[in-house]
Amino acid sequence: MSAIQLTGVEKVYKGRVHALRGVDLTVHPGEIFGLLGPNGAGKSTLVKILMTVIRPTKCQGTVLGNPVGDRQTLARIGYLPEHHRFPGYLKGRQVLEFFAAMSGVPRQTRRKRSSQLLELVGMSEWADKKVGGYSKGMRQRVGIAQALMNNPDLVLLDEPTDGVDPVGRREIRTILARMKDEGRAVFLNSHLLSELEMVCDRVAIMVQGKVLRQGTIEELTEGKRGYAISGAEPFTEEHHTLIRSVTDGLEVTFESHRTTVLTSDPARIQPVIDALRARGVVLAAVNPMRPTLEDLFMETVASDASHGRPGAARKGVRP
Amino acid sequence: MILTQTVALFVDAYRELNARKLFWITMALNILAVAIFAALGINARGPSFLHWTFDNEFFNTGLISKELFYKLQFTTWGIPIWLSWVATILALISTAGMFPDLISSGVIETMLSRPISRWRLFLTKYLAGLLFVAMQVTVFSLGCFLVIWLRGGSAEPALFLAIPIVVLFFSYLFAFCALLGLVTRSTIAALLLTILFWFMVFLTNTAESMVLLQREGAILRLEDAKRNVENQETFAERRLEQLERNGNPPTDANGELITDQDARMLAANPALKMSRERLAKAERAVPTWKAWAARAVALKTVLPKTQETIALLERNLISREEINRLMSESSGVEVNLDEQPDGPAMADPRAQQRVKEIVHARSVGWVVGTSLGFEAIVLAACVLIFSRRDF
Repeated sequence: MSAIQLTGVEKVYKGRVHALRGVDLTVHPGEIFGLLGPNGAGKSTLVKILMTVIRPTKCQGTVLGNPVGDRQTLARIGYLPEHHRFPGYLKGRQVLEFFAAMSGVPRQTRRKRSSQLLELVGMSEWADKKVGGYSKGMRQRVGIAQALMNNPDLVLLDEPTDGVDPVGRREIRTILARMKDEGRAVFLNSHLLSELEMVCDRVAIMVQGKVLRQGTIEELTEGKRGYAISGAEPFTEEHHTLIRSVTDGLEVTFESHRTTVLTSDPARIQPVIDALRARGVVLAAVNPMRPTLEDLFMETVASDASHGRPGAARKGVRP
Repeated sequence: MILTQTVALFVDAYRELNARKLFWITMALNILAVAIFAALGINARGPSFLHWTFDNEFFNTGLISKELFYKLQFTTWGIPIWLSWVATILALISTAGMFPDLISSGVIETMLSRPISRWRLFLTKYLAGLLFVAMQVTVFSLGCFLVIWLRGGSAEPALFLAIPIVVLFFSYLFAFCALLGLVTRSTIAALLLTILFWFMVFLTNTAESMVLLQREGAILRLEDAKRNVENQETFAERRLEQLERNGNPPTDANGELITDQDARMLAANPALKMSRERLAKAERAVPTWKAWAARAVALKTVLPKTQETIALLERNLISREEINRLMSESSGVEVNLDEQPDGPAMADPRAQQRVKEIVHARSVGWVVGTSLGFEAIVLAACVLIFSRRDF
């Protein structure tokens, strides 16, 4: 059973703004799944549909085995909205206990878990201070803790590292890894591609209300991985001809001191090294190369012909 | 789970109110009002405030007992001024932001992502909002109960009816305020439009009283005019008989005898014509005012009865008959405060009395039932909007 299984999710806002145009998406149990896309791509809309905050125009799918929109299922989901704002009159511990009570967590469990989670997110010392006086990073930490209060099977975090300093981000990554180890599925919405790359098992790239790519980073970079061979001296035309002769069918690009051969198979790169060494070329380095998530993202966004420029919100489209 | 969520929402509402300075300002004002109430007094020399007595040979315990004095103070300014206006406006200011705050971005997502239906979330928050008034009125009522008991010597448990009645009265306005808060998402807009609505209800109430007064006045004028015509006709018949007996029957302008009986009567008594004209005018006026009164009553029926709801407290606490009786007992003189009913100075006192009777005859069921009907419709609209909106 998938943690999230969506087929053809559509959302048309009043004014005929198509926020989602048939989203198909799968999140497996126990994995960290990252959803990325430029502003206005529909990421938050999709998360809000999963959390029943927004009603979809069309939606087929399940969350934790139950139809999307099933209220009882929400008791098994933890959620941290983007730009969340907890009532300033509540203390950190009260925020956790209030939202846990709203999820139906018994009183004794609330007390116990709030202390544990405040410790986990490093907020124990601030537990009895009002959240109105918290910094953004502190609010984010408390937000993550409240998302875990109901011991959820699925956690949806919308921009969890927003406003958090580098130390805090590392701690959040540790917490995410711990959630995964505990068997929870984690759905991350983030702009920070490097963050996602570090923690996600699978990602989906969403552009203009559609998921254009999804899979593991290995799957998405398949055919784009290669090896960079750096020479101590610049490569000549003769070297280029030589390399072409031993890389039959492989894509090769040449730069001054560097040649890149696209293949994920290390055996295919050995003839190139041998040929160059036989000609007395001094090699400085041979490095495996893989496109970053950012490369993938930029490529996907650029390939979407209808999209103007990456990261730009379309007029009239809600983020 | 339902109980856990409900308790959590009520505790949260309490914390929210507790965090608002206005809540404590209102509470302090309530206590101050009770303190002033306790400082007032009356003795054999006259009314008093703290240890000062203002000598008055009429207004003293010879005219009015201590018990009645405190009850009258409570019904004169405690209910109609403090609870009905001052405390209610402060309560509206304090609670108007409850729903705009709830549906503001960043808060609503966290609330809606819980296993609670939207209608239940809304209605629980709504009921929690009424906590504000309930708490304020409880403090005020308890204070006033103690003052009347300890200073006036009369324990009046009926005074605690103020709690449900004022909460009920406030709930009409709070429901409307919640609707405006959901629609406009603005605290200021919700507050100002609710106060405007309240003023409109007040105007409707006043207009209905005026129209009823006009209708009853028109009916009375018609009854008077009918009697007057009958009298004039009787007088005309007698006068005609007298003229005929004297051999001086009525003639027209040419000196010829008038044969038509009605014309003969008009000739015998010229005032009859004017009386009949008055009757015709009164007959025309009655249907017009009846139609307007029907419209006014229909409009009033669909609106919440704020004034009548508060008046229920007066009905239960102390009646005008009881005031008359107590004042008569204290002073040894027959007192009847109904002799000078309230109302426009130019209005027929009999019409005023009739309107008063009509208003008093309206049952608690009609007053509360129709008001709750209005509230139910407004809340249903709120639930519909809240349940269907994307946040």
